Amino acid sequence: MTARPRQHPLSVGDLEAILEVTRALASPFDLMTMLAEVVSAAKQVLKADRGSVWLYDAASDELVLEVATGIPPVREPASAGLVGACARSREIINVPDCYADPRFDRRVDRESGYRTRCLLTLPLVDHQDALVGVMQLLNKEGGAFDADDEAVAVALAAQCAVALQRVRMTEALIEGERLRNELGMARVVQMSALPATMPVLPGYDVFGVSKPAEQTGGDTFDLQLTERGLLVVLADAAGHGIAPALSVTQMHAMLRMAFRLGSDLQTSFAQVNNQLAETLPDDRFITAFVGLLDAASHRVEYQSGGQGPLLHFHAANATCTRHGPTCLPLGAMPAASLRPAATFDLAPGDILVLLSDGVYEYQDANHAEFGEARVEAVVASHAGKPMAELAAMLETELVAFARGVPQQDDVTMVLIKREASAPAEHLDFARRIDALQDIVAFTAEAFRRQGVDRELLPSVDFALEELFTNMVKYGGGSSAPVGIDIVGVPGGVEVTLTDHDVERFDVTRAPDADVSLPIEQRVPGGLGLHLIRRLVDAVEYDYSEAARRSRITFRKTGPDATRRPAEGRGGHVDD
Amino acid sequence: MLTIEPGAEGVVVVAGRLDAAQAPAAQAFLDGVAGVVTLDCSRLEYISSAGLGVLLKTQKRLLGAGGKLRLAGVNRHVQDIFLYSGFDQLFEIEPAS
Repeated sequence: MTARPRQHPLSVGDLEAILEVTRALASPFDLMTMLAEVVSAAKQVLKADRGSVWLYDAASDELVLEVATGIPPVREPASAGLVGACARSREIINVPDCYADPRFDRRVDRESGYRTRCLLTLPLVDHQDALVGVMQLLNKEGGAFDADDEAVAVALAAQCAVALQRVRMTEALIEGERLRNELGMARVVQMSALPATMPVLPGYDVFGVSKPAEQTGGDTFDLQLTERGLLVVLADAAGHGIAPALSVTQMHAMLRMAFRLGSDLQTSFAQVNNQLAETLPDDRFITAFVGLLDAASHRVEYQSGGQGPLLHFHAANATCTRHGPTCLPLGAMPAASLRPAATFDLAPGDILVLLSDGVYEYQDANHAEFGEARVEAVVASHAGKPMAELAAMLETELVAFARGVPQQDDVTMVLIKREASAPAEHLDFARRIDALQDIVAFTAEAFRRQGVDRELLPSVDFALEELFTNMVKYGGGSSAPVGIDIVGVPGGVEVTLTDHDVERFDVTRAPDADVSLPIEQRVPGGLGLHLIRRLVDAVEYDYSEAARRSRITFRKTGPDATRRPAEGRGGHVDD
Repeated sequence: MLTIEPGAEGVVVVAGRLDAAQAPAAQAFLDGVAGVVTLDCSRLEYISSAGLGVLLKTQKRLLGAGGKLRLAGVNRHVQDIFLYSGFDQLFEIEPAS
């Protein structure tokens, strides 16, 4: 389900209103109350006059409109009208002028006496991508629904879908008498908020798991792709009983909503904090790590409200750096200002290890705790494995350590590994100048697959073209193709050109051009190597007599290497 | 790909990648211009040494006849190439705003 991105940034006031609604939706309700809540929330946020929710009944493939408790619901086949079209396409439908749109059924207005001017119809799809229902909003205050409304509606619809699905699920469980108390219900709600599947992020292995304790605990985590990067959340609400489960679920929903709406880290964190500070009792708070991973720059930007330690495992030396909290826990008190977000960068093979205190404080019979040192040892010895396996190893070690003592607190793990460099991309190219177009396309694709910063692309294209055209011009009649290998390295890329069936010719020994000559004395050519030396980090030549093979390798790292100042020349522009 | 074509008021608009494969076409076009010519490079993504050769040959010819080639709207990559090759001394260059 997609909508056009918002045209205008969301105001803090609007964000506050939406987060308030989101928080409310995360509370446990029965189905009729929840339907009323959802409609009222949507009307409020989107300034609509009326609203309704049709629930999807998968068994009969019908859409069902609950009117009121005790009155039989209205049923329509899931193919009829605008609601049906929306259910089928799962796309938002915005009708700015209903009476000008043939899809609009005027019967409803005739029967009710209400005049529908404009209509927003949106699908409610839950985390598992299942259709929960269709929501309709009528008559936007003072006009029609615009692109900004659509963007907000889509974000809100996701929350409504999850809330409704949760209520249906808990009602089914209650009927089955599997849930005997409120706490059990709150725990089900808490666990249902967790991501059902792990996001796919090229170049990364992302895994999260939460294992609830028997009685109590307030853990949650989230891993979601957003416009601003991968949202990473690990949180733990203090206290025992139903309250932590409830408040951490509310926080989870609010954070997800704020980021869906495109808010930045600082705004989201501050707003969620302030809302929680207002609504949580004084003795309650939530420790929370909230971070954004930019997969292109490999930078994690985060705020950690009382959550720590967070471990950064460095593949280069197999050790961990520990980072502490950046601020007070969420909801502890309203924050007038927030310190700038902290950051760290993940090198290939590095792992961000986020664990709730249920891991660090896992106890054996003598009340000894598992502790940070054991965590680091397990991470270091299994860092090469997939993150799901590392999580399983940690769990095995916890159980072995406790020797039969049951788990006391929720155990939650979020593990994010930047993949060690992928195997090099390789392709052979015909020894012809017009192969350049294919080389450019191959290079761009290799950059994408290896997760190399695109800022480096023009310099690499340049060096590749110059070296390749040299091989074409001076290949001495060889008809063998030229092989190109591209592989990501820390901070950049390494490129190798392999030229077969050729004489030794060490192009790297070509002299620099004299670039200070007046124009009469400048001649075309001779600039290729001169420029390559200035655009990339290092160029190496290797020749095998036996194989009659030339190999040229160059590296390019750091986005700013091309901005080295020019040396030894005046700066005026010739006129 | 590369396109090079006359724009408004004596400006020549070049767009795309001026590499070794495209250099002959660019040279053929620029061999036909005369006087003071502004090359609008705002959509020129990339230039290699073959492209520099085209510009140098054109500049020499125009200067010899009392004209010149001016470059406008050059991007960062192209600017770097000009700087490192000393071509910033041979052309009047107006960087991208």
